[in-house]
Amino acid sequence: MSAQIPISTFKPYRGEKARLARAYDYLILVLALFLFIGSFHLHFALTVGDWDFWVDWKDRQWWPLVTPLIGITFPAAVQAVLWDKFRLPLGATLCVAALLIGTWVTRVFAYHYWNYFPINMVLPATMIPGALVLDTLLMLTNSLTITSIFGGGAFALLFYPTNWPIFGMFHQPVEVANSQLTIADLFGFQYIRTGMPEYLRIIERGTLRTYGQYATPLSAFCSALLCSLMYPLWWHIGKWFATTRYLSKI
Amino acid sequence: MAATTESVKADAAEAPLLNQKNLWAGISLYLVFYSFIRWYEGVYGWSAGLDSFAPEFETYWMNMLYIEIVLEVLLFAGINGYIWKTRDRKVMSITPREELRRHFTHWTWLVCYGWAIYWGASYFTEQDGTWHQTIVRDTDFTPSHIIEFYLSYPIYIITGSASFMYAKTRLPTYHEGLHLMYLIAVIGPFMILPNVGLNEWGHTFWFMEELFVAPLHYGFVFFGWAALAVMGVVNTEVMAIAKLLKKDLA
Repeated sequence: MSAQIPISTFKPYRGEKARLARAYDYLILVLALFLFIGSFHLHFALTVGDWDFWVDWKDRQWWPLVTPLIGITFPAAVQAVLWDKFRLPLGATLCVAALLIGTWVTRVFAYHYWNYFPINMVLPATMIPGALVLDTLLMLTNSLTITSIFGGGAFALLFYPTNWPIFGMFHQPVEVANSQLTIADLFGFQYIRTGMPEYLRIIERGTLRTYGQYATPLSAFCSALLCSLMYPLWWHIGKWFATTRYLSKI
Repeated sequence: MAATTESVKADAAEAPLLNQKNLWAGISLYLVFYSFIRWYEGVYGWSAGLDSFAPEFETYWMNMLYIEIVLEVLLFAGINGYIWKTRDRKVMSITPREELRRHFTHWTWLVCYGWAIYWGASYFTEQDGTWHQTIVRDTDFTPSHIIEFYLSYPIYIITGSASFMYAKTRLPTYHEGLHLMYLIAVIGPFMILPNVGLNEWGHTFWFMEELFVAPLHYGFVFFGWAALAVMGVVNTEVMAIAKLLKKDLA
């Protein structure tokens, strides 16, 4: 900080190899982007996809519980490498952004333009805010434990509040044929899905042990605990996937 | 990336270290081909793909299936056979400059692999979710399955295996032994294709409804994780390339 050397004395190397290293950055970025879209999206769609596809699956009990739990996996694995090896504090955001690109492209070009489901019915949820907190916490603390506990918790707790501005409007009640429905329910009944009978939805139906309006925060805090455990597990899975070992035969 | 073009101009007689033409040609190849596929299914999914017992289904969809399978087997054998036959038999004695060039060609393959994974695992996989909600299927070979399972998956498998073969036959880095994570990154996503056997058996004899998050689909997820092993390849590549470049970048 105290050195007073004029900038002009520095002559950064701008030769061929510097330019190559830059080109290599782009190649890595493109590979990472598409590979993470592909594998994260596959993982996400087949484990919590239905909640993410349909507006009438986005309930208070299951959606905020399972989505962050499944969503924190790849971010943790990629952070383990990008942060530890390269000190790049963007592993989680990269993964979540990649997932959103993948889902949006499919919702628009397959769900909407191929099969004519309205975009409002198939909006993907966002996990960007949680991912930003996760990346920032890891960068500031440089600690797996602290990021697991507080980052994992924040990832789950932020999920519902940050999605509420997107999906809140679909919870307006309407009266249809003497029944009370939400707009989201109505979407589900109106735009026919051949393989999705109503009973298939895994959503909150109430129990005799549910008290008041606690469903959402309960799910969020339950998810927060599970995310705190999922995060280090996937951190180590990521570590393992990043090893460089050679076998002599297979 | 433009920077490398300049470096090429400096020595016009020599082959470029990063052949951008091949890179863009590779990326465009998938883009143009899959755009055509998306157009084809958009038109013939609705006009010929709704009733699998109708003769037009045979014409437009089953014939497509037979043709693509034959072409894929030929492509797989042709590309891998060619790469193996033209392998460098004295790979340990190449110049550093040639080694660097091959690393970049290798990255062209890897970028194409990521791009192919995107189409297979992200776009066409989730797209199948929406086709399931549009038709009640009367065959295991729906238009969407013909594209997803038997077209887009084999294409990324061919790309991945070619990438691995290129590295193995042309780069000193991979000469000794078999890179474990590279194997996982190629064989894991390959196993998604055989897993179709489990999936279709389950759907045919046991589980009729199209719940995307059904445990029956978790096999795909497990094998999808294997794509994360590319992080191990990236680590190896960064070390190899850093060794070739670091003297000048210090």
